[in-house]
Amino acid sequence: MSTSSLRSFEYLEGLPGTTFNRLYKQPSTALAIFRRMLPHLAKSFVMALLYISRPMPVTDLEAWVRPDGRLERDNAIDLLERLHILTATTKPGKPRAYTLTNPFAASLRLALTGGGTHKSFGVPSNISDDDHITIPELDEFARRQWEGVLGYMVGSTGIDLANNGVELSPGVQHLLKQGGLVETRGRRVEITQDGFAFILQEVNAQVWTMLILYLQNAEALNMDEVDVLSFLFTLGSLELGLPYSKANLTPTQSQMLLDLGDFGIIHQTTPTSSHFHPTRLATTLTSDSNGLRSSSLASSSDTTKGGFIVIETNYRIYAYTSSTLQIAILQLFTRLITRYPNMVAGKITRESIRRAVSMGITSDQIISYLTTHAHPQMLKKQPILPATVVDQIRLWQLEGDRMKATPGYLFKDFNTQGDFEGLCRYAEEIGVLVWKSEGQRKFFVTRHEQVAAYLRNQARRG
Amino acid sequence: MPRASKGVLVECDPSIKAIILKIDQDNHDYIVEDLDDQTLVIKETQLARLKVRLSEELANTQQMPEESGSD
Repeated sequence: MSTSSLRSFEYLEGLPGTTFNRLYKQPSTALAIFRRMLPHLAKSFVMALLYISRPMPVTDLEAWVRPDGRLERDNAIDLLERLHILTATTKPGKPRAYTLTNPFAASLRLALTGGGTHKSFGVPSNISDDDHITIPELDEFARRQWEGVLGYMVGSTGIDLANNGVELSPGVQHLLKQGGLVETRGRRVEITQDGFAFILQEVNAQVWTMLILYLQNAEALNMDEVDVLSFLFTLGSLELGLPYSKANLTPTQSQMLLDLGDFGIIHQTTPTSSHFHPTRLATTLTSDSNGLRSSSLASSSDTTKGGFIVIETNYRIYAYTSSTLQIAILQLFTRLITRYPNMVAGKITRESIRRAVSMGITSDQIISYLTTHAHPQMLKKQPILPATVVDQIRLWQLEGDRMKATPGYLFKDFNTQGDFEGLCRYAEEIGVLVWKSEGQRKFFVTRHEQVAAYLRNQARRG
Repeated sequence: MPRASKGVLVECDPSIKAIILKIDQDNHDYIVEDLDDQTLVIKETQLARLKVRLSEELANTQQMPEESGSD
């Protein structure tokens, strides 16, 4: 599963149950969650339960999964419960049983089989041909806007990006600041640690991060969170290149169109026009297909050939690009020496890597960036990057990063060794255990919800 | 009944841990639990400050090799 959907998960899980209730009233939301956010096993559970009107006993459901798949089963059920899709009901005299919640089930049925007048998948608009915008034009628009956002963020590294012609709206600037991706010192904009991590992510993850910031900010702008979120899921189900009518949108959603235009997620000719076009950034929101991935991070001339970076064993780096955004990103972790019309040359140095690490970029991010953008000539070799360079980048990071920090929870004060071992083994099985000590009867986990639930179940069974 | 407490697990060399202990000595406001000679749990809110203090301490005690200026 990609990082982007993980990000959106974390946000969704934090929402109260009533919000979910309202969200799931939209078939497009139910379908988007089902399609994008659930692992296959969870999907199978949902599909199996979808047309069963009576609750399904827990033991029956568990019987579908082979004993060695217990871990996956627990994860799937746990996730479905956290997303308020599945609930366990207990009635006196009957075994514990699972049902799908309504309106999720009703909406998903509607989404799968059609029908209803919910209009949650957008209403295509009939417009004359001269208003029509082609897919390449939309891609170009989306790329320009999105690179404008990224360019604004890395602009502080000293390269002038003013010539790409995108003026960021005050709203977007405020959002970036609010989200802690940039800081303003006086009139200068400075990128933060989170901002760097953001820049090196793939585009779909970036879009989600940005939209979640937008959501968190929505209430301050007097916008209804549910309205915003369900509109985003609607956008994800639209078709690229088609115009959609604005007639049935709520006031919140019309306001959103303006803001999303700033990011290049949707395109409208003028703010008052009767229709809008979703761009590739929007239509790939809830699908697994690649969005503007290569095109956004590489300037248009580079996309056909793949990568553009050549790196030699002597740490010298040559980047065949004229995109100022690319150069600014490279500048984050290399010392650039010369710039030619179509190429920049520089060197990876201990100093440049240390500077990047101190700003929050990890060596793995740098290595993966270099790998994904490696020049075709480099791709012929195996391994792609010179091993010495990769090792050295890692070593340089270690030098500055003397301790490994993992946030989480420490469990201690177990009464018996048996209690300790049981819980500890469970934590290990579900993959949250980081550290344990038999002698001290203590262990450390990254997440405590499932472990605590297990503990409560244990206590109940006595 | 076991108890759970929130924090950040820090894994490092014994030498680094010694420095962390030294930093904590003044006010005892970093460490939640001292686990063993390479592991300890610290307060989540203090992680950033601890990192700063640690790099200060290291800068005082370590000599960094000079970067060669030839290109």
